[in-house]
Amino acid sequence: MAEHPSFVADPVLRDRAESPLTGHYQPGDFGTLADNDPGVTLSERFGLTIVELAAWRGDEEKIRSAVASVMNLKLEGAPGSGAAGENGSAFNTAPGRWLVSGEKAELAAELAGQTGTAGTLTDLSHGRTVIRIDGPRSRWVLSKLFAIDFSERVWPVGHGVSTSHHDIHAAIQRSGADAFDIIVFRSFARSFWHVLCRSSEETGYRVT
Amino acid sequence: MTSHRLPTGGRIGRDVRVHFTFDGKRYYGHGGDTLASALLANGIRVLGRSFKYHRPRGLLTAGYDEPNALVTVLTDGAREPNIRATELEIFEGLVAESQNRFPSLRFDVMAINQFTGKLLGAGFYYKTFMGPVIGPLKGTRFWMFCETFIRRAAGLGRAGTTPDPARYERMNAFCDVLVVGSGLAGLRGARDAATTGKTVIVCETMPVAGGCTNWRGDETQSDEARTLIGELGEMENVRLLTRTTAWGYYDGNTVAALERVTDHLPKRGTPAPRHRHWVIRAGQVVIATGALERPMVFPGNDRPGVMLADAAMRFAEEFGVLTGKRMVLFTNNDSAYRVAMRLKELGADVPAIIDVRAEVEGDARADAETAGIEVIAGHAVVKTEGRPEVSSVFAQPFDHRTGILPGSGRALTCDALLVSGGWSPVLHLASQAGARPVWDEQLQAFVPPEGDGRWTAAGSAAGEGLDPPAPVFEIVSTGGKAFVDLQHDVTADDVRLAHREGFSSVEHLKRYTTLGMATDQGKTSNISGMAIMAEALAAPIPQVGTTRFRPPFTPVSLGALAAERYGDLRPHRLTPMHDWHAEKGAHMYPAGLWMRSESYNRPGETVEQAYIREARNVRESVGIVDVSTLGKIDVQGPDAAEFLNRIYTNGFAKLPVGKARYGLMLREDGFAMDDGTTWRLAEERFLMTTTTANAARVMQHMEFYLDCIWPDLRVHLTSVTDQWAAAAIAGPNARDVLAACVEGAAVDHATLPFMGIVRGAVAGVPVMICRLSFSGERAYEVYCGAHHGQHVWDALMEAGEKFGIEPYGLEALGTLRIEKGHITGAEIDGRTTAHDLHLNWMISSKKPFVGSAMLDREGLMDPSRWSLVGVVSLSGERLRGGSHVVNGADREDPGRSLGHLTAMCYSPAMGKYIGLALVENGPGRIGSRAWATDPARSGTHIPIEIVRHHFYDPEGKRMHG
Repeated sequence: MAEHPSFVADPVLRDRAESPLTGHYQPGDFGTLADNDPGVTLSERFGLTIVELAAWRGDEEKIRSAVASVMNLKLEGAPGSGAAGENGSAFNTAPGRWLVSGEKAELAAELAGQTGTAGTLTDLSHGRTVIRIDGPRSRWVLSKLFAIDFSERVWPVGHGVSTSHHDIHAAIQRSGADAFDIIVFRSFARSFWHVLCRSSEETGYRVT
Repeated sequence: MTSHRLPTGGRIGRDVRVHFTFDGKRYYGHGGDTLASALLANGIRVLGRSFKYHRPRGLLTAGYDEPNALVTVLTDGAREPNIRATELEIFEGLVAESQNRFPSLRFDVMAINQFTGKLLGAGFYYKTFMGPVIGPLKGTRFWMFCETFIRRAAGLGRAGTTPDPARYERMNAFCDVLVVGSGLAGLRGARDAATTGKTVIVCETMPVAGGCTNWRGDETQSDEARTLIGELGEMENVRLLTRTTAWGYYDGNTVAALERVTDHLPKRGTPAPRHRHWVIRAGQVVIATGALERPMVFPGNDRPGVMLADAAMRFAEEFGVLTGKRMVLFTNNDSAYRVAMRLKELGADVPAIIDVRAEVEGDARADAETAGIEVIAGHAVVKTEGRPEVSSVFAQPFDHRTGILPGSGRALTCDALLVSGGWSPVLHLASQAGARPVWDEQLQAFVPPEGDGRWTAAGSAAGEGLDPPAPVFEIVSTGGKAFVDLQHDVTADDVRLAHREGFSSVEHLKRYTTLGMATDQGKTSNISGMAIMAEALAAPIPQVGTTRFRPPFTPVSLGALAAERYGDLRPHRLTPMHDWHAEKGAHMYPAGLWMRSESYNRPGETVEQAYIREARNVRESVGIVDVSTLGKIDVQGPDAAEFLNRIYTNGFAKLPVGKARYGLMLREDGFAMDDGTTWRLAEERFLMTTTTANAARVMQHMEFYLDCIWPDLRVHLTSVTDQWAAAAIAGPNARDVLAACVEGAAVDHATLPFMGIVRGAVAGVPVMICRLSFSGERAYEVYCGAHHGQHVWDALMEAGEKFGIEPYGLEALGTLRIEKGHITGAEIDGRTTAHDLHLNWMISSKKPFVGSAMLDREGLMDPSRWSLVGVVSLSGERLRGGSHVVNGADREDPGRSLGHLTAMCYSPAMGKYIGLALVENGPGRIGSRAWATDPARSGTHIPIEIVRHHFYDPEGKRMHG
């Protein structure tokens, strides 16, 4: 049977797609803003291609090469290691597994082509929601929710972890100096968004 | 200026008056005051009534160790009892009230208890309420009768019942070194660690850092502390947390701390949280928690105006408040001399120091006498007087080696008696870390042992720099009750009574007398209690033992522990069509973390009326239900078919591409685990569905097999539950609805037979459609990308409009499946086998599978096992799920349980209340009568007929046609 077509590549399909945060995502400034500067900026990165790449044992290097050739991202072998670039980002979520995302229209198809028989690709573009937190207090806000050390010395840009917030599975990747992308299951997205906004009120937040 | 406030001094902001209300009366203090210091400045010295005897009580301490001065704070309609007035920082508009008094603090009717002392001794409840051996109140009934009255009379404060509007938060932190306490030892430790580049967190329980350098009046020390605080404040790798109590030491050097973020502000708890629960994972912990002064036990030692010497010093130095105008000290060590001289310097009248030691070595005595303070050595306080506040004390010659009081004494007029009974290092965190405290003979105190690498103790917490006392804990005399534990009203006589009655181990002593229990956990009473017990046992103190400390060090708000996972912040899983259901008035029902529609009630409709209407519409025309919550697992790889063949009891290896199959999986022990359909999407790719509840469990089960048992199989599993939105369309008109809206695929019987799969589009959005049925009707599941879920649902509703399509909820779903005899988690309950559920036809004999080896066990083959049957209510009464199936017609004598009802509904198809049940020897009972009895809940006892579990269309013509 034919693969299910990606909604990212097709403007009509994209138009018909609805974020789980619809009705709950309101751009603006909220909470306690010091001198009009929010401590954090929150945004949903909707409309990305999100796939999981999984390598067969011994073929991990081939998958990393596939990512390198399609996305121009260099992935190291260590757990959690990742990279972010203009074509998207990827990081290791489990032994032999990478979560890859990007705006490129045919990303899934290109990755599938390069992966070949070295592993499998699973499309999760509908199933995951990517929320970005940026700003000087991002680590403070994230530390309210995750029992993870976000400090710079243990967390280079591109690095990621698989963790959970309460019962909500979350994969987190550092995407910039103070920016982190939190990837949650779609069904949990609204609950997580709600708690993230609440946790950000103390520092003030801007939704863009 | 209020009556007891000194003209200068202290860290309070004297320019600003802060108004507050205590017991309905308005007072003022200054910024930085605690409720205790502000009341003391206003001359208020009776702050509460005691727990058992309702004796008037004042301040004993100035900090977290306070046993007496507990108050209730009223904020935004919420009441919080048992807040220590010594830690409660006042703010404009604070409203607090005293506790354990009726009708007022000055006059309390329960104070009668103090004249019934002998009756209310240790073990009072156990002895008094054992109950008569015969009669209506025999045994524990008498206790239950009395309990209401006792609970009203005793207890600490009264909890509120309104919801707490404040916000609480959790904070996770990581550091190389955690320093608990910001006295000199803590600050030095923090500086030493920080200068080597380590990340450091310092927790200070008080509002300002510096520990006791803030009130001991030693300028060299306080200057050093100020300098260190300044230095640490500049360092990026140091975080100094004030108002933060490290209260629990857990495995892996994890320390729990409570930060009181906004308690001291008029607007507390939003948007900054009221309390923040810190979970700090530290490489190393430096315990620099200081030492606590101990009181001494003597008659009348609980009278308001009797205070610890160090506390009086703190009130004077930190808040500029003198505890009394004429203060006498009573001590067994040198530290009180420094207090006496400093208070005198500040302008107090300090006529005398009563010292139990006949000889006072060193300069202390000479210095005091030079300052004009009489030193009454070799004496002890044997009595206090005053109504209720202390107005005089009696000193009598005392031999501290024998405890004998030779000769007659003298009275000293005073309005405060400041006591020092020696010092105990605060070793609670070390004890929680598993360390066994060591008795220090010179300090007459327990000190922590050497640190074990994870933690070290520093400063007076390690016993450094403390004044060694004479080993005197109690003055035995006849001047009235002598209290050991002021919070729980435990006297020295109670401790001796416990000994006489055989409760002499520390743990028994604690439970028999309640010594060391309640909010202060015996911070001022543990050592004295043990010393008195040691004396009674004629054994040294360390042999009596020490109570191990457990978290929390001081009380922790439950709000902080629950933090952000209750109320509207509780996580839920929502399907892509959630908002649509809610808009249509569906009652959303939690199914695990998922929210699902129970029924779509029309105005005036009950749930039962709604589900009957919804189910009937499915049978007669067409209905639609959101099944996005089903677990979905992507199973991929060259060995995927082989893997599924091993996981499921039935064959999957030969399932053609484009077909689905209903599968059953077992646990290793042969019991049923989960069921669902799995679709073969490609040669090496399957989409497995599981029940909503078991999705995670099935995933774990399969991952375990791939990782540990069959690592050679090349199969990858990924949860795709959230990737797909799914709607089931069921009913005789279901096909027509699809035909009206599906593009790019035919849905006729030949193209899409039962268990067939097609791909097409609905309203321009790609979908996968599988024909399968849980309802027993002709039915289809339409899958699309979750982001398109609402779009496709709307299109299906539109296409179904002319057929009268209606959404149906979980109740109707349940009704349809009960009528059909289909099973769910209620039947796959971990105790049933395929055989019990009549699923033998799914057990392949041609291959091994998980659970197959255990299937033939004798116990699983027993014909009398509970197995699945249907039941019909014969009386027309509504059955209750969970009712027992019994043979007895008499509800009072129903006989033994033969099984239970797993599900029930009103069946519109049958026109009766029906249910499914698991009963002993099920098939053998078909056609027989029994009763469904529910004695504990509804009290119903309903005649039933046991029938086959297929009520409706047993041949399956409707769903296959």
